[in-house]
Amino acid sequence: MSLLEVRNLTKSFGGVRAVDDFSFGAEQGEIVGIIGPNGAGKTTAFNLITGVYPLDRGSILLEGKELAGKEQFEITRSGIGRTFQNIRLFKGLSVLENVMTAADPYSPYGLFSLFTLGAAFRRREREVRAAAMEYLALVGLEKYADEKPSNLPYGLQRKLEIARALATGPKVLLLDEPAAGLNPSEVREFIGLVGELRERFGFAVLVIEHRMEVIMTLCSRIYVLNFGKLLASGTPAEIRANHEVTEAYIGKEDASCSV
Amino acid sequence: MDYFVSTVIFTGIALIGVLGVYLITGLTGLFSLGQAAFMAIGGYVSAVLIRNYNVPVVPAVALAIVAAMLAALLVGLPTVRLRRDYISLVTLGFGEAIVALLNNSANITGGAMGISGIPQLTTLPVVLVSVVVCLALVILYKNSKYGRQCLALRSDELAAKSMGIDVYRLKLITFLFAGALTGYSGVLFGFYTTYLEPAAFNWIISAEWTIIVFVGGVNSLTGTVLATILLTWLPEFLRFASEWRVAIYCVIVLLIVNYRTAGIMGERELSPKTLRRLLGRTKEAPR
Repeated sequence: MSLLEVRNLTKSFGGVRAVDDFSFGAEQGEIVGIIGPNGAGKTTAFNLITGVYPLDRGSILLEGKELAGKEQFEITRSGIGRTFQNIRLFKGLSVLENVMTAADPYSPYGLFSLFTLGAAFRRREREVRAAAMEYLALVGLEKYADEKPSNLPYGLQRKLEIARALATGPKVLLLDEPAAGLNPSEVREFIGLVGELRERFGFAVLVIEHRMEVIMTLCSRIYVLNFGKLLASGTPAEIRANHEVTEAYIGKEDASCSV
Repeated sequence: MDYFVSTVIFTGIALIGVLGVYLITGLTGLFSLGQAAFMAIGGYVSAVLIRNYNVPVVPAVALAIVAAMLAALLVGLPTVRLRRDYISLVTLGFGEAIVALLNNSANITGGAMGISGIPQLTTLPVVLVSVVVCLALVILYKNSKYGRQCLALRSDELAAKSMGIDVYRLKLITFLFAGALTGYSGVLFGFYTTYLEPAAFNWIISAEWTIIVFVGGVNSLTGTVLATILLTWLPEFLRFASEWRVAIYCVIVLLIVNYRTAGIMGERELSPKTLRRLLGRTKEAPR
């Protein structure tokens, strides 16, 4: 049994089939890439898996348990963590609090313990703070703990999104264009970071990315989407050699242009 | 002196009500334009229980708070799933409905004539202790998982859900807590004025409280407290201007909202840490 198994994922918006019969999977510790031209339905697929939109058809199994039809927060708590393509950090909270908030849903204390300053509340609050600090340290943001996220440069905001997703305790981590807007040295650093995190936590990673360097170095399997449909899948070498994929990205070679 | 004490008492009562609005608007980003109705429920329930049914004070107060929370549950359950702007409409409607209900059930509430002869139990020490306790509870709430998650869902509800936050449940809990606080402020109000009438709890009060939270700075509890003191006392200071009072009040509010769009305090809180930072900054600033 695969850790994550997605079958026949389908979603239409009006008359447009955004995702059409897309099936794929990920094993524990595996990094899987999803690529495709703009508008191919990659982010929609992520939004379907995380429950932002209801599915038209299909099934999403995490460790054999069905996730389709559950609420967004339930899906996250079952072990699907994510980052966003257009960074969505919590502006009113500090860097540290952003990460703490993602661990807070697992805090068992109630209002009574809070209002009586009970031991359960104080202990858990210390734990969450320490855990959040540790996640920040993993991505190298510990010295910015008290800053507001909007004061961080773009590359660091992306890292904060990852730290926050780690705090949700994911079994599968969904990264939506995590390297967008990073400079070449940041991209290399990012590739190293994702590898380290995978080693440490042993989760599966699904990554949507346009930077081929990221996809080709990290992923053991790649799925190519085009107009919502699966165009090809395979190892990086297989995908590189696939003509259909190059065509979808760059267009067909026009016979009249060749010399 | 009596006049000063009564202003302090009214400010304290208003502050407890405003704390409810702070939880809903400042922390969670929702608008309750019927919050004063919970004050009415608290005030009326405690008054009727004591006057008509000879219930002892403590259980009467407890029941009044429970009644306010039940009302909050009634409004909250269907509304927390609505879009933010609809919530303000529903709460506005609810608030006006409560006022109408009080007006029309004259045999219990005295209708538009109001209810009088409530024992005067609210004294300065009672108000001060109540303010300190309520403020402490709100500070704890803000600095716990509850407050953090509220602020998170206020800034980005979709991202909040994706971090595993059960936003509907959280909104409902916040709504109930706010209802309890506002209900309690109604209890104190009735026990101070010894007289309650429905017209005292219409949407204008709720709107005023929302203005207070905005003037103070939506994120800042310190700002909310300062603005409550400022805006409750301002009309008293402006008494010399007689009929121009309201106009001046409005101008001052507009000036603050226009030139300090984040409110008096913005997102800052008064804490040892910010004080130190503030002092450090004034020292460093080259002039």
